[in-house]
Amino acid sequence: MMRKMRFAALLLALLLFCSMVACKKQSGKTKYSAYYFDYFDTVTTVVGYADSKDEFDRVCASITAQLEEYHRLYTIYNRYEGLNNLYTVNETEDGVHNVVQVDEKIMDLLLYAKEIYTLTGGRTNIAMGSVLSIWHEYREAGMHDPAGAELPPMDALRAAAEHTDIEQMILDTENNTVFLADPEMRLDVGAIAKGYAVEMVAQQLTADGIEGYILNVGGNVRAIGTADGDEPWSVGIENPDTEDTETPYIAYLHLSDAAVVTSGSYQRYYVVDGKNYHHIIDPETLLPGEKYLAVSVLCRDSALGDALSTALFLMDWEEGRALVEFTPNVEAMWTLPGGEQKYSSGFEAYTFAMEK
Amino acid sequence: MGTNDRKKIRNDIILAVVLLAVAAAAMLFWHFGKVEGDFAVVLIDGVETARYALDTDTEVVIHTDNAGENTLVIAGGKAYVGAANCPDLVCAGHRAISRVGETIVCLPHKLVIKITAASDAGGVDMAA
Ligand SMILES: [Zn+2]
Repeated sequence: MMRKMRFAALLLALLLFCSMVACKKQSGKTKYSAYYFDYFDTVTTVVGYADSKDEFDRVCASITAQLEEYHRLYTIYNRYEGLNNLYTVNETEDGVHNVVQVDEKIMDLLLYAKEIYTLTGGRTNIAMGSVLSIWHEYREAGMHDPAGAELPPMDALRAAAEHTDIEQMILDTENNTVFLADPEMRLDVGAIAKGYAVEMVAQQLTADGIEGYILNVGGNVRAIGTADGDEPWSVGIENPDTEDTETPYIAYLHLSDAAVVTSGSYQRYYVVDGKNYHHIIDPETLLPGEKYLAVSVLCRDSALGDALSTALFLMDWEEGRALVEFTPNVEAMWTLPGGEQKYSSGFEAYTFAMEK
Repeated sequence: MGTNDRKKIRNDIILAVVLLAVAAAAMLFWHFGKVEGDFAVVLIDGVETARYALDTDTEVVIHTDNAGENTLVIAGGKAYVGAANCPDLVCAGHRAISRVGETIVCLPHKLVIKITAASDAGGVDMAA
């Protein structure tokens, strides 16, 4: 009798053991990853679950072909033979811009940029090109010759800031043309183009029936479907305090079919007299924003995430939080210069603790 | 009930508790995977060129296109870039990495150093 009961108890325990272990759903797929360096002057990471390496490579080929196309259209640094891109839009002939016929993908981005300008109260402004090009020039020079690194002269920045009125960007949606009415004006879509392109690629993959992938283009992370089986993706948000060697991540997030975009002072900067000057320029001061080390925005749409993370980076916390709470399905995390974190009301619902 | 039976019941309870604890630990391990990695994998332009065990201290110069050089240092179970001749030096400024999924990127040299584990998965899927 006792022996039988003992056997039954053991069997029960074994059953429990097996069911607990098996409760993690396995799809039988393999996890692959790939890195690319040719798009948007940053590194692109693709992680995906696929039945075979061939299948993964095919999806990556589709992703990179799309990113390549968006990169060529949205770059302001390169011209391509036979293609009208934003470099073409920025060009002048005899001191004035041309009316430029553009691809729908450019028109859609520029229309979106106008919406974003309104939503962010002008913080995210693609018409800042003339100011940003000065910073770009001094940053490039300073990185190649650190000893001779200099800040751009304030009067040059102020003069350029006279030509940043987004209303001077004339969009004709009937004929798909762009015209910059102010001859001194330049577009720079760096604050929105990566997130926008990533979102478009993600939506195309979803339309193609592909899921189980996560993309990261220079801090613009977008999950397409879940990870293995029904598990969410685990995303680590890097600690913007690069001096802190003990804490690699300031947050761990669980994502499925969603985006998280981080704007950080550590992402692209140069050093002048021992001080870091990063690339997120405040339209009011014409200097790099100093309110935060990083801002991460979590939402469905990586285009919105990209645009908002730039804007929030330049806003006082009270104003930024109000914008986040006002915009549906958007959460945010702010890291202050001292390392302290602030969260919007729903952000922490997506975080988890990583076991050591 | 004799003391012998009581002892048996007590042993059974202990056995059941131990089994459950093992199951719970196994489940946690499977769920979260391993956090500390085993290897630093070197990828140049997306292609793996080498991997180094984190438990063996070493120093190696990685050569990339256009005379690019990054010195990978493995010490005390962590990997970092000790020196580099890239213009931005972002890679050399990055903290030492040791957890699965952590990466150091040198954009000018198209170089990625990433941490992986011998067993499948664990850590984060994406660092950003
Ligand atoms: Zn480097």
